[in-house]
Amino acid sequence: MLNVKRLKRMFNNNQAGFHNINFSVDKGEIIGILGTSGCGKSTLLRVLSGLDPYYEGNISSSDEANNGVGMMFQEPRLLPWLSVRKNISFGLKKEERTSTKYQTYLDLVGLTGFENHYPKDLSGGMAQRTAIARALITEPEVLLLDEPFSALDAFTKMQLQDLLLSIWQKKKTTMLLVTHDIDEALYLCDRILILKGQPGEVFAEVQVERSKPRTRGDAYLSQQKAHILNLLNVEQKAAGELK
Amino acid sequence: MISETQKWKVGQRASPQKLSSSKGLFRVGKGFALGSILPIILLIAWEIAARVGLLAPHLLPAPSIILEKIISMYRDGSLFGHVSITLTRVLLGFAIGTAAAVVIGAIVGYAKTAEQVLDPLFQAFRSIPSLAWVPLFILWMGIGEPSKISLIAVGVFFPVYLNIVAGIQGVDRKLIEVGRIYQLTPFQLTKRIILPAALPSFITGMRSGLGLGWMFVVAAELMGASEGLGYLLVVGQNTYSPDTVIASILLFAILGKGTDALLKWIEYRSLKWQDSINNQA
Ligand SMILES: Nc1ncnc2c1ncn2[C@@H]1O[C@H](COP(=O)(O)OP(=O)(O)OP(=O)(O)O)[C@@H](O)[C@H]1O
Ligand SMILES: [Mg+2]
Repeated sequence: MLNVKRLKRMFNNNQAGFHNINFSVDKGEIIGILGTSGCGKSTLLRVLSGLDPYYEGNISSSDEANNGVGMMFQEPRLLPWLSVRKNISFGLKKEERTSTKYQTYLDLVGLTGFENHYPKDLSGGMAQRTAIARALITEPEVLLLDEPFSALDAFTKMQLQDLLLSIWQKKKTTMLLVTHDIDEALYLCDRILILKGQPGEVFAEVQVERSKPRTRGDAYLSQQKAHILNLLNVEQKAAGELK
Repeated sequence: MISETQKWKVGQRASPQKLSSSKGLFRVGKGFALGSILPIILLIAWEIAARVGLLAPHLLPAPSIILEKIISMYRDGSLFGHVSITLTRVLLGFAIGTAAAVVIGAIVGYAKTAEQVLDPLFQAFRSIPSLAWVPLFILWMGIGEPSKISLIAVGVFFPVYLNIVAGIQGVDRKLIEVGRIYQLTPFQLTKRIILPAALPSFITGMRSGLGLGWMFVVAAELMGASEGLGYLLVVGQNTYSPDTVIASILLFAILGKGTDALLKWIEYRSLKWQDSINNQA
């Protein structure tokens, strides 16, 4: 589906960015990308989405249908002059843009009744949910998600994770999900790439061998979480601080 | 303690209607009332000063006399002629100047090479005080309507042009990227993202362009006209009738304010989405 070889994108005299990234994604897989802040996760998604052409290495995609990639940026990036409804419909074809197709997604992200609000009148989480609806409505083959649920409360977050899963079950959408939330990655992803360093590199890859939907916090996932924390070196650090 | 679930429900129940209120009109009315206090006091003081003989009538006649003058012009039908010809000149010049500025500004703002080729030239032209064009326009086009309207158009052009270029170049790259994700063509990108994003600055340009348009219509009509408010100014000066002069100044003020209010209303209507202090409900 998607094959990435020796991908490299650097800034500031090779001080930042990422390099030496190799992975491949099968159709319908959900890949998680975990990593410390500033290790190049957003940049990686920008390169994969085609927004940043200044990379080295090789990206090959076997997806000829080219329904386009869907992308949800780290910021909501709503168009301030469009209402919630028109923002959600933004990526649709002209005929569909005026239809009521938006309604389903508006309801799914829990914004019923807010369709005529402008982005300035939304809270951070509501703006983020609008952006999620906008990314989902076009039903892309590949969905790139940059910390899609970071601004949401725990409950909404879980609901939207389940929403993402149900869409995956229906469409078998291939997804790359950048997140800081290890539980989220374990709940949703088939494989988790752990990036580390500056410039970032794939430091480890964790398989989550459980079929979805999974039970949150079951023993296997907890065990994997400890493993990932270990890889991220958080435990040692925390212990060091305690002393 | 409030549980997460309850918080979620409260969030959902938050009334969507509460933000769109009808307070706006009331506030506008109140602003209008506040804004007219000082002019009314001044008018009354002026009238009293003129009546008791503090002001020489051949220099500054009372407001009532000026009003009478306007009414008499209205009665004999000349008022409509003067006002409409001046208004037509301004609007035509404004339309031409704005249209030219939109086309050229869009090209310069959008294409880097066009900017490099055209912008220095326009910047140089801009530094010519526009009234310096007057003799040239009269030489080229005579003293009739074309030279007047061209002069107004030149005056309107520059503020609109500069604001459009600035507006287009200031569009947030992050929003343009949203368009690129959805594979918009350059034309769609311009129409759906760049133009709406540049709209606030375009309207600012139009408002200052209109102000200049009114300034230039006076210049154009002073230099030779047989009708129009500027012509009234000349007549008033030559016949020693300050009431005519002040009457036409007053009409200029009313027309200028009126057309600006119209643009302001359009601005308010089309920029409701802006997150500015004026838009807080
Ligand atoms: N256009 C750019 N020019 C220069 N440096 C950049 C640019 N874009 C990103 N960087 C740098 O690349 C590094 C990685 O940025 P990136 O946004 O990809 O981080 P991230 O992994 O997404 O971090 P976070 O988890 O905080 O979102 C940062 O050090 C950043 O300063
Ligand atoms: Mg990021």
